[in-house]
Amino acid sequence: MKKKAKLMAVLALTLVVSLFMAACSGNNGGNNGSGNKPAGGDSASAPPATDEVVEIVSWDMPQDGDPAKPYWEQVFKDFAEKYPNIKVEHVMQTLTKEREQFMTAVVGGEQPDLYANAFPDMESYIDQGITADITELWNNYAEKDMFLPSATQAATRDGKIYGIPNFMYVTGLAYNKQMFADAGLDPAEALKNWESFGEAAQKLTDASKNQYGYALLGMDWADWFFEYYVWQAGGDLTEQQEDGTAKLTFTSEPAVQALQYYKDLKFKYQATQKNVVQSLDENSNDFYQGRAASMIAASNWFGGMVSSGMDIENIGFSVLPPGPGGTSPAQVGGAVWIFNPKATPEKQQAAFTYATYLMSKEVQDGLLQYQMDNGIFPNLLNVRSDVDASQFVEGMPQELIENVQAAAGEGRLEYFLKARLSPYVVKAVQEVLLDEKADPMAVMQKAQDLAQREVVDKYNQEVKK
Amino acid sequence: MLRKLNIRWVPVLFLLPSVICYVMFKYYPLMNMAYISFFDYSIVNPPGKFIGFANYTEFLKSTTFWQAISNTFIFFGLYLVLTFWIPIVQALFLYDIRRGNAFFRFMYQLPTIMPLVGGVLVWKWMYNPDFGLLNYWLDFVGLGPYLWLNDATMTKLAIVLPAVFAGNGIALLLYYSALKSIPTEILEAAKMDGAGPWRRMWTMLLPNIKFIIVIQFVAFMSSVLLAYDHIYIMTQGGPAGSTTVVSMLVVNSAFQQSRFGISGAVSVFMFIVIALLTIIQNKISAEKD
Repeated sequence: MKKKAKLMAVLALTLVVSLFMAACSGNNGGNNGSGNKPAGGDSASAPPATDEVVEIVSWDMPQDGDPAKPYWEQVFKDFAEKYPNIKVEHVMQTLTKEREQFMTAVVGGEQPDLYANAFPDMESYIDQGITADITELWNNYAEKDMFLPSATQAATRDGKIYGIPNFMYVTGLAYNKQMFADAGLDPAEALKNWESFGEAAQKLTDASKNQYGYALLGMDWADWFFEYYVWQAGGDLTEQQEDGTAKLTFTSEPAVQALQYYKDLKFKYQATQKNVVQSLDENSNDFYQGRAASMIAASNWFGGMVSSGMDIENIGFSVLPPGPGGTSPAQVGGAVWIFNPKATPEKQQAAFTYATYLMSKEVQDGLLQYQMDNGIFPNLLNVRSDVDASQFVEGMPQELIENVQAAAGEGRLEYFLKARLSPYVVKAVQEVLLDEKADPMAVMQKAQDLAQREVVDKYNQEVKK
Repeated sequence: MLRKLNIRWVPVLFLLPSVICYVMFKYYPLMNMAYISFFDYSIVNPPGKFIGFANYTEFLKSTTFWQAISNTFIFFGLYLVLTFWIPIVQALFLYDIRRGNAFFRFMYQLPTIMPLVGGVLVWKWMYNPDFGLLNYWLDFVGLGPYLWLNDATMTKLAIVLPAVFAGNGIALLLYYSALKSIPTEILEAAKMDGAGPWRRMWTMLLPNIKFIIVIQFVAFMSSVLLAYDHIYIMTQGGPAGSTTVVSMLVVNSAFQQSRFGISGAVSVFMFIVIALLTIIQNKISAEKD
């Protein structure tokens, strides 16, 4: 009995100590004593004192395999020489799970001063206060008007600016010209509408040759490409109301039509890969290796296609076939430089100076020149209106450049509240792709009811507060 | 009168570093997790607003959570039925192998040095419906092709299958060591008294390694109920949430939805479930003893 009592006493002491430590750590999220001042404060817009060195952390070190890495290393050196009072620590991120890595840093009080964040996460990060309000710094920035409105839109909320555009891309349909020619298909005719594309993809599918017409994305990012089909049918997955609240439109006619078309591609036309939940990399490999005749691709993927063995002359690019809505808007995606809201105003100013240096015309043109000199196909879109990537392209068919530019003309951002609603849409898409008997309307109704209860009701309550 | 404390300081000093590490890296995170589960956790201004048990009631009402719980326990059942007993049987056979015993032990251990990710990726490749090895073999005997990772029921089995064929070498070694510790005189005496192989197995071998089986079961239970990595690599929780397990929900809540309070609450729930199951298991085995 005594032994037991002693053991219990030790356990109790351990728990008390742990609880005490947990309680002590309750407010340890800050990484300095500056509190949560917005970057746009008076001191934030002032340039850093010349005699004081400001140290910032930027997660911008390119991966070892990045062909443009030598260029960026030179840019880092040039910046260090030009701004001796700003010392930048360049950190390399992992290739996958970037979001998780960043969130771990934020929660651990180690948020970098500068981070390139993907467009869809901006909405949620602004809500959570992870991104600094840089409106004042931005308004005092001489070159702010050089950035495309479609790029700054992702970093804007209620007239306030939360980041500097980093890069952008536009999506469209990439197709294998040779495979289309071998099947006797004229791409212009085949890509005229949903029906013509379905029939063409069916014709391109030949199990004996282990080839299929269209690499459909059904894995855990399925909503990324599925939303385009909802747009083509004339709708969207969500609507942002005037008061800022969200309205789900999963059961609207365009959304259901889009899901029915996905189902048709798989079961009626039998024009997709057998494993519709395979990863995007696997889809890409199928396209590179001539197993898939077409797939949705972004304007900055051509370099990867060529380095994986594709002939650039054999790659076609087009806006997606219009659906019942008669339109085929392309999606504009990319990343935004965001700033640590808990950093001192001096650090925020230094990070802003550094980010604007990276995004200057000189550095962006230099990158395109470096890529051209080294035979690297560039991203044909740039966030700056005074940087024309098409002037730095050698060996890329003019038709391809024109088609990318045409796709960019009608670009739009991803659906509202995507970061929170994605799992619900993905599940619905997968249910329909894996069960021939599934009813798209019923599946979408179920997904909408669940998302309404678990996400949207709570979100709308917070917005109304 | 207080009895004079007679503390042996040397063992205490040797134990102290590990105790400190345990408190810092096990108990502290555990308590912190329980602590944040009562808050609408704010990343920027932690811990945020105190909301009592609201996180608990929220996830308990969520269908996503109950689907994940159901998936987790289906996996537990599948692993239990299809894999847990395999190293026990293998150890019993190995115990009776005299010639080449070391070779077999070596062969059983070899797969354990293979990185988990590599092993899972090989299986994922084998499951490919177009050019995977498994369907190719099945084709020879007139079966398949199966869409291993495209069917809600089949996918669960496809995730468990690698553990059936490339079992737990460490567990085998533990059972084997326990069997070897049984005095041979007792077994010889039983043989002389006419006990056959089955009788010896049920009445002498298995009861003597029961303590290892119980320990292994507790470890097995927590590893299966908290499984994440191999399921994530194989299916990322899909298709249609059919392989989303509770640990995946914990990670997704925290890092995809930034809802650390919910994540903490689900973790505490699982901690309690596993603790209860362990207590029940220990009670049952103690009563049987």
